[in-house]
Amino acid sequence: MDRRVVITGLGTITPIGSGKEAFWEALLAGKSGVDDVRCFDTSHHRVHKGCEVRDFDFRQYTKNGALEKLGRGSQLAIAATRLALEDSGLEPDAIEPERIGVSVGTTGGEIQILEKINLLRYEQDEDYVDSALFLKHPCNNIPANIAKEFGFKGPNTIIPTACAAGNYAIGYAYDLIKLGRADVMLAGGSDPFSKVAFTGFSRLGAVAPDICQPFDKNRKGMIIGEGAGILVLEPLDKALAREANIYAEVIGYGLSCDGYHITTPHPEGDGVVSSVKKALKSAGIRPEDVQYINAHGTGTIANDRAETISIKKVFNEHAKRLLVSSIKSMLGHTMGAASAIEAITCALVVSNDVVPPTINYITKDPECDLDYVPNVKREHRVDVALNTAYAFGGNNSCLVVKKFLN
Amino acid sequence: MDNRVVVTGIGVISPIGTGKESFWDGLKRGLSGIRPVSLFDVSRYRSKQAGEIPEFDPKTFLGQKGIRHFDRTSLLITAATGMALGDASLDHCYGEEDLGIVLGSTFGSIESISTFDLEALKEGPNYVNPMDFPNTVLNAPASRASIFCQAKGLNSTVSTGETSGVDAIIYATDFLKMGRIKAVLAGGVYGLTRDIYWAAYRAGVLSGSKDSNVEICAPFDKRRNGIVLGEGAAIVLLETLEGALNRGARIYAEVKGYGSAFNPTRSGSEDLGGGVRAVSAAFQEAGLEAKDISYISANANSSINGDKMETVVIKESFGDYARKVPVSAIKSMTGDCLDASGAMQCVACIMAINEGVIPPTINYREFDPQCDLDYVPNKKREIPVRHAMVQSFSYTGNCSSLILSRLS
Repeated sequence: MDRRVVITGLGTITPIGSGKEAFWEALLAGKSGVDDVRCFDTSHHRVHKGCEVRDFDFRQYTKNGALEKLGRGSQLAIAATRLALEDSGLEPDAIEPERIGVSVGTTGGEIQILEKINLLRYEQDEDYVDSALFLKHPCNNIPANIAKEFGFKGPNTIIPTACAAGNYAIGYAYDLIKLGRADVMLAGGSDPFSKVAFTGFSRLGAVAPDICQPFDKNRKGMIIGEGAGILVLEPLDKALAREANIYAEVIGYGLSCDGYHITTPHPEGDGVVSSVKKALKSAGIRPEDVQYINAHGTGTIANDRAETISIKKVFNEHAKRLLVSSIKSMLGHTMGAASAIEAITCALVVSNDVVPPTINYITKDPECDLDYVPNVKREHRVDVALNTAYAFGGNNSCLVVKKFLN
Repeated sequence: MDNRVVVTGIGVISPIGTGKESFWDGLKRGLSGIRPVSLFDVSRYRSKQAGEIPEFDPKTFLGQKGIRHFDRTSLLITAATGMALGDASLDHCYGEEDLGIVLGSTFGSIESISTFDLEALKEGPNYVNPMDFPNTVLNAPASRASIFCQAKGLNSTVSTGETSGVDAIIYATDFLKMGRIKAVLAGGVYGLTRDIYWAAYRAGVLSGSKDSNVEICAPFDKRRNGIVLGEGAAIVLLETLEGALNRGARIYAEVKGYGSAFNPTRSGSEDLGGGVRAVSAAFQEAGLEAKDISYISANANSSINGDKMETVVIKESFGDYARKVPVSAIKSMTGDCLDASGAMQCVACIMAINEGVIPPTINYREFDPQCDLDYVPNKKREIPVRHAMVQSFSYTGNCSSLILSRLS
């Protein structure tokens, strides 16, 4: 069964805008989502900025009253799923629920629940903690709650490969459709704002004090964010049969592992190079066929340098002609949701032929000398976009998104 | 896309034995790995036991260096991974890029996250040890193992809860079938931690947690009153059949077919539909039917409803043959090792296929009219096993069925 897989619905809940239109408009305008962190007290931290989703009202998105008290990871994911389904025009009743699956990625899962439990333990006593609260914490609650909200009975999974998780989840969803195990996959990622991640990355010196400046010479680190992105994936024949709006086609992906260090990326980007090469090979395209790379671009010294080296290794002379931008400059790093939101961005780029900028770009770094689409969006024909994402543990990923041409 | 996938290596660390031989010997003998918990204080609980691995010394497997910051889950899986590679005699038949790892792990990292978080609360966020931070990401165990064995082709983690060990093997098999890689270490791991023990106890799911109940791990037995937790790591090396034949590998079994389904009801584990659909999808993919299955390795973990529901799922799926097919629950011996359990069941099936022996359900004494199948009570059974099925269900509603077969 050699099915082609297309993207027919997009749903985003992000710090710069929720819903496809608001999100895309904000991306092209170069809007920043950075603000003071409000969901916990940062007065004892050395840094205080984050990208939170403001004014999120879950009741707008759920029709299942029993789900109102879910963790925020599930809430963000359900909201993004509802937006994606509405955008796709799919009539869920027209498809057997057994053929609809869920594959999402995350870094921290329902981390806010565990943080709440720990605060209770610290301030009072463990005996005050309700065990029902604990049961809502394991991250498999997120895909389970999506399925429970919408009644999906197909394959249901969560892949927690940290900051590359969204790409991993979309890749697996793509395989499940190709293998005929599902006819619709809701795929993407979700992460609520995490105090543990904020504290941990701060202690590693990886968090910037004010803004996120990917590839800029004076970049000072990432800004932690939160959000969710969900895509509707379908086999092409079924999408055509229902006359769906097709944003883009997924034509391949590549994964690899540094096997080098638990937190530090390989300095020469070896693992990254391998994941991009595998992605190109699996898509059956040449490096010259790519016009745009949605960079991992966290804004840390190590990542952006290694990422630039790896792009040059794969693309050689063509690297200079590529447009490379990091939307983390606007959204912050939404962790496991990041590469899902970035995959949505790639789908919008190939369907609109406009590339969102890397904002906060001021000073050129001799070690980062590609075209990062500084500060202003660019109209540019993009037939093939690569969505790259890398993570703790050396989890590397690259998804290939192509303009849909039947 | 039509690659056949086979098992060529086994690594296991369990409450009843470390290493393939010792684990299998324990299963055949009906050894119980349930013992008083020593890793943390359980004096305030009525439940006091678990399938704790006795005297696990990671240095034996991993040496002295580089493991200081590993949590228990990472230590267990890294050790088991080395064992599986050794068992497969992989040597350098494949390049680093051809080998990957897919791990089922959901619950094992939770205590590491809490430890880090509580430290930040107590000491202040600027004094917490940054070296403890990597353990808070759920992909840390797989990543540590991948660094240890230099598996650079793929590093992924599946966190579907209790089904994650089986789901990792399914994921890895799909990856091999698609031709994305040549060899993958796949399995599950859970290191016993106080957090999960405490939460399960407080939720009333542990055996002995309620008044007057005896603490006992007795799947399908009428006296069962809850689960006993266990811990461990089980991982298999999967290769394409072609690759295994080319390098002259010993082939234990073929991953013949599988199915995954979800019950989106409020208490997913008490719905029949998903379990039946998973079995039926596995039959379809394997091109087999009920009567072809020689052995079912049950999910059963001594929970009152779970074991009853599983019996019903088997009856629905296997029809008249349900009463003839031997069904056993190795969790009677190991306890419920959560993420690792499904992978341990796979190892049990692989060994059953190779040796023609079915491990028993131990602690089986009193018949429950609602659980009326052949549970291979208390004593192993010698019988040729051509196709064996692993059943795995999660608390949130996942149902996975996997068929392992003798290579034909």
